[in-house]
Amino acid sequence: MRQFGYERPEYAADAVALAERPEVRYLAGGTNLVDLMKLGVETPDLLVDVSALPYEFVQEDLDGLVRIGAGVRNSDLAAHALIRSRYPVLAQAVLAGASGQLRNMATVGGNLLQRTRCVYFQDVSKPCNKRMPGSGCPARKGDHHNLAILGASDQCIATNPSDMAVALTALDAVVHVQDHAGPHEVPLAELYRLPGSDPQRETTLAPGALITAVDLPTLPFARRSRYRKARERASYSFAIGSVAAALDVEGDVVRDVRLAFGAVAPVPWRARTAEAALVGGPVNEEAFRAAAEAELAAAEPLRDNAYKVPLITNLVVRTLAELAAGS
Amino acid sequence: MRLTFDVNGVGQQADDVWPGESLLYVLRERMGLPGTKNACEQGECGSCSVYLDGTLVCACLVAAPQAQGRAVRTVEGLATDSAGGLDHIQQAFVETGAVQCGFCTPGLIMATDDLLANTPTPSDAEIREALAGNLCRCTGYEKILDAVRLAASRRTEVTP
Amino acid sequence: MSVPTTQRPTGTETATGRLGDITLLPDGIPKVTGDFAYSSDLWMDDMLWGVTLRSPHPRARVRSIDIGAALATAGVTAVLTHEDVPGSKYYGLEIADQPVLAVDEVRYTGEPVAIVAADHPETARRAAAKIVVDYEVLDPITDSRAAMSPDSPLVHATPTQDHYPGGGNILRHVRIRRGDPTLTADVVVTGEYDVGMQDQAFLGPESGLAVPAEDGGVDLFIATQWLHVDQRQVAESLGLPEDKVRLSLAGVGGAFGAREDVSMQIHACLLALRTNKPIKMVYSREESFYGHVHRHPATMRYEHGANRDGTLVYVKCEVVLDGGAYASSSPAVVSNAASFAVGPYNCDNVLIDGYILYTNNPPCGAMRGFGAVQVCFGHESQMDKLAAALGIDPVELRIHNAMAEGSLMPTGQVVEGAAPVAELLRRVKDAPLPAAAPTDSYDLRALPGGVSNTTHGEGVRRGVGYAVGFKNVGYSEGFDDFSTARVRLEVVGGELVATVHTAAAEVGQGLITVMAQIARTELGVEQVINQPADTSIGTAGSTSASRQTYCTGGAVQAACEAVRDGILAMASARGLSVEGAALRDGKIVAADGAAVASVADLLGEEIVEETREFHHRPTEPLTRDLGAPGDIGQGAAHLQFAFAAHRVVADVDVELGLVRLVEVTTAQDVGKALNPLSVVGQIQGGTTQGIGLALMEEIQVKDGKIRNPSFTDYLIPTILDTPPMQVQVLELGDPHAPYGLRGVGEPPTISSTPAVVSALRAATGRPLTRVPVRPEHITGT
Repeated sequence: MRQFGYERPEYAADAVALAERPEVRYLAGGTNLVDLMKLGVETPDLLVDVSALPYEFVQEDLDGLVRIGAGVRNSDLAAHALIRSRYPVLAQAVLAGASGQLRNMATVGGNLLQRTRCVYFQDVSKPCNKRMPGSGCPARKGDHHNLAILGASDQCIATNPSDMAVALTALDAVVHVQDHAGPHEVPLAELYRLPGSDPQRETTLAPGALITAVDLPTLPFARRSRYRKARERASYSFAIGSVAAALDVEGDVVRDVRLAFGAVAPVPWRARTAEAALVGGPVNEEAFRAAAEAELAAAEPLRDNAYKVPLITNLVVRTLAELAAGS
Repeated sequence: MRLTFDVNGVGQQADDVWPGESLLYVLRERMGLPGTKNACEQGECGSCSVYLDGTLVCACLVAAPQAQGRAVRTVEGLATDSAGGLDHIQQAFVETGAVQCGFCTPGLIMATDDLLANTPTPSDAEIREALAGNLCRCTGYEKILDAVRLAASRRTEVTP
Repeated sequence: MSVPTTQRPTGTETATGRLGDITLLPDGIPKVTGDFAYSSDLWMDDMLWGVTLRSPHPRARVRSIDIGAALATAGVTAVLTHEDVPGSKYYGLEIADQPVLAVDEVRYTGEPVAIVAADHPETARRAAAKIVVDYEVLDPITDSRAAMSPDSPLVHATPTQDHYPGGGNILRHVRIRRGDPTLTADVVVTGEYDVGMQDQAFLGPESGLAVPAEDGGVDLFIATQWLHVDQRQVAESLGLPEDKVRLSLAGVGGAFGAREDVSMQIHACLLALRTNKPIKMVYSREESFYGHVHRHPATMRYEHGANRDGTLVYVKCEVVLDGGAYASSSPAVVSNAASFAVGPYNCDNVLIDGYILYTNNPPCGAMRGFGAVQVCFGHESQMDKLAAALGIDPVELRIHNAMAEGSLMPTGQVVEGAAPVAELLRRVKDAPLPAAAPTDSYDLRALPGGVSNTTHGEGVRRGVGYAVGFKNVGYSEGFDDFSTARVRLEVVGGELVATVHTAAAEVGQGLITVMAQIARTELGVEQVINQPADTSIGTAGSTSASRQTYCTGGAVQAACEAVRDGILAMASARGLSVEGAALRDGKIVAADGAAVASVADLLGEEIVEETREFHHRPTEPLTRDLGAPGDIGQGAAHLQFAFAAHRVVADVDVELGLVRLVEVTTAQDVGKALNPLSVVGQIQGGTTQGIGLALMEEIQVKDGKIRNPSFTDYLIPTILDTPPMQVQVLELGDPHAPYGLRGVGEPPTISSTPAVVSALRAATGRPLTRVPVRPEHITGT
């Protein structure tokens, strides 16, 4: 691990001022960053510990909008009554990740910015366009069992590993950011970037930008929402495919729906094609399957990850069927 | 840098700590408390589970400076209140044969302590869910379940 | 000799329990308090930290190594390369083909190239990163079947071949031919099966502390499976006589075969002697994946021929094991794979070819089950397939062909003693089945996918599968396999105390508990002290091959008998009649049960101490004359066979490919359960490792590089993946073994894997010819 300094500012403005250089990283729960530093993937010269900043809150405003501080621990988020009752998909997604000990440490802000599990990204002895732009991507021909079928580019097929971010994407969350220009808001869907020709740029955040909070819009039908995650052991492992969904049914017609996929793309994948196919349509498994297939028509599976297409399709059908049965 | 924090109820100080050291390293190599185990040092196995201000965490992923001014409780601090040297969870692990090589044991005992503090009479499913962040390679977990059940039953006896 | 501060004797705490009693581990208490000193916990005031620089390439020539910048780093005391190895530059368990530090070529990714000592582990790591190695990168040889070709480039320019002439990369080829394999049969089934590379994944990392001694030698405190085989290899590479290299067992955090080979032992001693300071080395988890051998991946081709009634007519098998870059214990592993390729079944006509290859993949060697695991997946998959082809119940087909006492192995060896294959199968089959999966609302944790909320019962099907397997106990093929024990009986503070000393490695399996039970039983004492294991006494052999209770238990028994004879001789010399007497409850007890004398009174200040070796019955090498007519690969190569059967009940989500094991039932003959608590613990733990191989555990090697060297990416079962287990322990007794015992540790790992896969096949109808089974294999996508 490279030598580095450590600061623990008490004000966001101080943190942002410290963090504008590219060699600086924010430290919160440390569950991802500390690991990557041990692997030599991250080599900051200064860590700015943001745990003293006042961002450990979950609150509801008069309009029913729920604001989650970026420093809220995953365990606290999943256990919060407001989240469990109004956004069960989010509580379920958080609980589906990592282990109890890690959820006690990991924060909302850190979870949103966790890095891919692509083995080439984590192995500093190998080329990786994300880690070393222009060095190449061995994953297309190499180990890509858990890499992207949607949204990838020739340069990068890494997947975003977060569960929480999939739920937040489905919920149309809005991220509060503070950077050198001051505080502002970014829809989560606009926070993440597809890799294109510059996969090293994963977000639209400016250098030194600090995530301070996440807003959940009032979405009454999110009370009926679900997160389903498939993985290779019963707990404590990353998804090989996941679905976050909320469904609003009126009579036998889909009035509204939110659908996002995890572990299939470089970003949490909002399934807008499937949503469009579903809205106004019938509430049955054929329609659900057709919608999933419409979304996945754009999939470009590789040699070893084609299984994700039927996996996601089946997860979508099951999740929507369960939500429909309960409405 | 200098690190001052509380370990098992006693104020401690460590000098010349490098920020890249983990809380695990500080406990094991600077505090002389190797009971917290170093099986993966990547947050993947639970062997280094300790309480940090009362919250169960993996000490390997806590950067040393993050422990500044905080209270840490390790397996060595678990039995300090009991006269017999072992607390009821430790005793149950010994009696049920839940210990083989024992490398996962301190972490599992800490996780069990955390479980029983919140859920005094857990179901088997609750035990499994709560201990899913602690890997054991020797036992197949059956006797660990026995140990947690036994500890829970005794805990219920002593604190109705 | 200086003793590190946290090094304390293990297992000296008193416990009670005689043979056959449920006996608690004497080291259990320090293990639950955190006081137990594992090898990574050792610490000395002025110690330095050692780290290893490893090759990033699977195959490359080493043109030059520049250590200048590393050595100039503040805090760095030494940087060593192969030039600094004073003795043998190569080491190995059976064949010394592995460089202590790379000499002119690296042959696998992760091979040690240089070592560094510094005052902080991070300083040492940073310095190691400054070493400049000029590699000429070569194309690696990574496909084991291609490596068999005579045209293949060679991993070793002059390979050390065990016996196969002209075989290029073939390290050993074991041929077994018995009967007439040219026969035809009513029903023939063929199959190809693959087993992925499994890791032992012990939790305690490779680690130890080497302390330079005033006599120019070194004391090494180390977690290992066999102190003396380490001692030999360390001494040879240091160029020191063995008495200058003294090893003491530090606390061992699991082993499962991965500590048979040397890892950091020689490196730590080299640095200690160079710096004249104690050296601590502790591998990270990533390094651990590079730093020890793994279970051999296998590709297998089988052909079974049977009569309509199910009787096996012939079995043909070809098994190819990838040995990786160095020999390790590969020659013995392939011998086992060939020996057990047919499974515990009678078959008079066999044709078996076992190959083990050098490649540029990670070296493979010992892991629990040792060659029998791979072929058990093959032969049990074939038995299921044959049963389906014949329309016979798969358990009945197995029972119909089951080996029994007096059966012949493919090697012609007569199976002596109990071989309860049919009974084990009947027991697991007759055990009550768990309740059917509930169909209404229920706990998600009881379904495939568990807390991930993947199903509420949709797409879930239940399957039940069976398997039986066996393997050898102890070292085979003529190896003089023995152990040494010293037992002392004396009065300390008015109390009779027995002290047991061996070099046997307690790795968590409970050996020291059994040793104390034997002493209590044989000598009639309560207080038994296990002296820490070290090389000041003769070898105990390895803690492997399920042999340690047999061999070291046998040695402790023999030493106790000698001590008892000494006591009785003392009594006799004092005019007491001791004809047929025994020691019980601190007394000499006559054959009629009457107490003759108090042992403590008789001993007074005297000490009776005896040292004995226990050599197990000799075995024979397999016949190897390839040109000879008639049967080959024959011989009574094995000491004892141990058998287990498993039944697995699985709920399978056939749409998502997720599995939840509902229950595992297993039956195993252990001969005699010396400590029933440990016996059951071994069976449960071993079964779980087999479950891991069936469902999730695989070291992914691509282009000669491990892609998942972490516990995030190499998955082992959690408590949520592990089902309730019904364990049935049979005690049928082996008249040739101490106390009638049969080795326990390995059989549970052998048959659990194919039983899981059999249950998955029953649920899905898919062939499932490879382990671990991945979700997409279950769904067929």
